[in-house]
Amino acid sequence: MVNVLVTNLPYLLRGALVTLWLAVIVVTVGTLLGTGLGVLATGRSRILRMAITVYIFVLRGIPVLVVMFLGYYAFPALGVRVNAYVAVGVAQIVYVGAFTAEIVRSAILSVHPGQVAAAKSLGMRRAAILREVLLPQATRIAIPPLVNNALTAVKQTSYASVVGAWELTYAAREIVERTLASFQIFLGVMAIYFIICYPLALLARWYEKRLAVSH
Amino acid sequence: MTRAMAMIEITDLRKSFGANEVLKGVSFAVERGEVVVVLGPSGSGKSTLLRCINLLEDWQAGDIRIDSETVGYFDGGGRRRAWPEARAAKVREQVGIVFQSFNLFPHRTALENVMMGPLHVRRIAKPQARALAAGLLEKVGLGDKADQYPATLSGGQQQRVAIARALAMQPKVMLFDEVTSALDPELVGEVLIVMRRLAEEGMTMVIVTHEIPFARDVGDRIIFMDAGAIVEQGPPAQVLASPSSARLKLFLRRYQGDYLAV
Repeated sequence: MVNVLVTNLPYLLRGALVTLWLAVIVVTVGTLLGTGLGVLATGRSRILRMAITVYIFVLRGIPVLVVMFLGYYAFPALGVRVNAYVAVGVAQIVYVGAFTAEIVRSAILSVHPGQVAAAKSLGMRRAAILREVLLPQATRIAIPPLVNNALTAVKQTSYASVVGAWELTYAAREIVERTLASFQIFLGVMAIYFIICYPLALLARWYEKRLAVSH
Repeated sequence: MTRAMAMIEITDLRKSFGANEVLKGVSFAVERGEVVVVLGPSGSGKSTLLRCINLLEDWQAGDIRIDSETVGYFDGGGRRRAWPEARAAKVREQVGIVFQSFNLFPHRTALENVMMGPLHVRRIAKPQARALAAGLLEKVGLGDKADQYPATLSGGQQQRVAIARALAMQPKVMLFDEVTSALDPELVGEVLIVMRRLAEEGMTMVIVTHEIPFARDVGDRIIFMDAGAIVEQGPPAQVLASPSSARLKLFLRRYQGDYLAV
């Protein structure tokens, strides 16, 4: 019974590698984009603040799957040929970016106002206050929700299979169609997703503890 | 001493939070090396006054001059306009403030807290900043706490680090906003001793406090505020011994232990 899984494991692992790649790109770029937007959302430009707020609220209100479909069908409609991976990647980055932006924005705003007053009173400029005072303290607050966000993003890469981008879940469906051993195969898939996600969660715990030391 | 030599000169300062006017035309000057103590009940506008001097608050009318420079606002084509942040920061470099709630940076050690200004504002090299900060911690009696984080220090120690942090910018003026009000009574002394030594060294200081004996001892002048205005001012001996206003008389009676005074 386990045999089906063992024989098909190499194929699954090839899919897992694609998933891993997709996840790394989506999480990295999405988090960086979101962090930048989150910082700008606390800035002085009212227009920028409003634009980012709209972005956050719109993206938060629609399922990632719909964003992906939109990406997948919108690019060709605009006359741009893209492969499924690019459509999926861009859609998920934009989605992760919105959630990250909101986490970072609220984390920065939750730093005690006395901290900014103290930094300002020394004559520190906005960039220095952000770098030396706000971001280090916001990071501590933002790490748990950011990791949650990242883990969700990793798992949501499985939606890529819906628009025909081949990765772990797609590979699993192919095998199941051939072997009909859905239980064994998806049990294996589950284990692989867990193995990808678990170290990330561990890393976050470790980092959280390290930050806690300096408080 | 002539008026032009005043370190701080405030003329008819008015400040409101919405409809609530908290400073109703405050005027006074602080001479170089002078220690001015501001007394008054809560809500009389003392803290707001200090925060205005450090440009941490905006205000609606009146002028603040620091070292002969009018700060905070400029005349832009007949309209009163606020300074851009970068220009305000220039003034804050020269005016140190210590807060009631310390506001130390919790993610930095005592030494790193004191190094913050020298490193990121004055941009002096790290070894020099380190030496300067170590010297200042020594000065406030915390040479052995340099590598500790604020959370591991007592309130009195944290407040002394905060004083060292402000001094690291080598300010022309130091503002103290009820710096002992959040401390256990037995930790108040260690902070006041540091402030007293600063005063003796000739630092120009504006101190908002409720420590009347300290005010008498260290202050060159006392300003008593109530409801956003200066009620009375003068040398501590005179103002505290024979207050002329009924409001200050009542205020002092409460502090002399008559907690039922109304």
